[in-house]
Amino acid sequence: MFQSFRGVVMAAALACAAVLPASPAGAVTLAEIQGRGAVRIGVLTGAPPNGMIDENGNPSGYDVDVANVLGRYLALPVKLVPLTPPARIPALQTGQVDFLIATLAPTGERAKTVMFTTPYSAFDLVVVTTPDKTFAKADDLKGKHVAVNRGSSQEAALRRAAIPGVEIVVYEDDSTSVQAVLSGQVDCAIVPSTVAQGVIKQMPGAMKQDFTFFSQGNSMATLLGDFELHQYLNTAIYVMKVSGELDRISVKWTGSPLPPNLPTF
Amino acid sequence: MTYAFQFGVLNQYRDQLLAGLWLTVEISAVSIVAGTAFGIVLASLRSMAGRGTRIAVDTYVELIRNTPFLVQLFLIYFGLPAAGLRVGAVTAALIGMTVNLAAYSTEIVRSGIEAVHRSQIEAGEALGLTQVQVYRHVVLLPAIQKVYPALCSQFVLMMLASSICSAISTGELTAAAAFVQSQSYRSFEVYLAATALYLALALGLRGMLALLGLWLFGRRAARRALVPVVEASA
Repeated sequence: MFQSFRGVVMAAALACAAVLPASPAGAVTLAEIQGRGAVRIGVLTGAPPNGMIDENGNPSGYDVDVANVLGRYLALPVKLVPLTPPARIPALQTGQVDFLIATLAPTGERAKTVMFTTPYSAFDLVVVTTPDKTFAKADDLKGKHVAVNRGSSQEAALRRAAIPGVEIVVYEDDSTSVQAVLSGQVDCAIVPSTVAQGVIKQMPGAMKQDFTFFSQGNSMATLLGDFELHQYLNTAIYVMKVSGELDRISVKWTGSPLPPNLPTF
Repeated sequence: MTYAFQFGVLNQYRDQLLAGLWLTVEISAVSIVAGTAFGIVLASLRSMAGRGTRIAVDTYVELIRNTPFLVQLFLIYFGLPAAGLRVGAVTAALIGMTVNLAAYSTEIVRSGIEAVHRSQIEAGEALGLTQVQVYRHVVLLPAIQKVYPALCSQFVLMMLASSICSAISTGELTAAAAFVQSQSYRSFEVYLAATALYLALALGLRGMLALLGLWLFGRRAARRALVPVVEASA
């Protein structure tokens, strides 16, 4: 179902690319956006709590809140364009959106096709355990049984870290990993912080969150060479950070403020 | 859409797959032997002991046969530690498979025991055999011979059901295949290879059971173990 839906989106993106001028859409200046009277922002759907569709069928989540703050800064109505993960960069390249606020992690490979702003959100993978144990750093996992979800980014990160003597126990999903911690089958589990918050809320006293194993920043993205917009967005992110607006959005959706040690560029 | 198969990728994960295959063989072998032993004991107890024992055995058999194997595994793996007894994933798999197979084999052996005609037992007694001798030679062995094909099918089913143990992180063949898949993203190749290995294991197991049947009961039972048929005339 999802596969075929993704196929449809990709086909639609390709069809648009064929109809629109063959060369990628050119850079958008702020004056052009203002002249048009609305800013088109690509957001992610299907990735709660960052981007999802609410009960009324409207886009909602962390990304949407950030997009609306930007709309206020620009004093323009925001036209949200819901996108699936594989459609994000094609939508930007074909000019369907002015820029992306779509939980896009900056990577070296992607940086060859789009320009990334400084991170505006972070995806934390945290260690959860029972109250009688404490894990403060990666070294504390030495010789321990650590549960992760099969094929997840936390499994990849844990294998990459190659902590000596760590026993990686793989379950089919995050909730089984958490269950394994609760019943003492493993010493701790690494789960997304949003999952950890949910578990701690459900069973206070039985689980606690220890250190952040891995933190992945997400950036807004503009077209290559779109320096004016890029600089505007970076400035806007700075303003959102110092005004506390970004932290408020982060607390609202993830339960904690933006990680203070998140590297920027 | 065309898919380019790359089975060569699997070569670098050969050790993981073989380790998984070996664990599947081990847990299947142990649970088949233990499960059958428990099954024979429980079915015999049920036929000899009083009403209380019969109700207890029947309750156990129906409880296990009418609940999903996965749920039984979760209860053992996550439930026993809550009761203060921490069992590892392999131990939990062994307990779960043995408990499960014991219930099915109890039921199968019971049907064999009940199929032994009263007159045969009386004939044994008339020949002056002791009670133990009657039970052993007239009831139990012919009973097991009758149900041998059904038992063999259940063994193969249990071996295949061991794949469910991957859900509690037992590193058997399916878990190994899932690991290789998550590392290589070559799901078709990995699962086709796993399918071939399971098929080979099942055929091998059937062959061994046929030889065992030949040794225990002679030619006819052995043939039926190899190719189980619905008994129409026997």
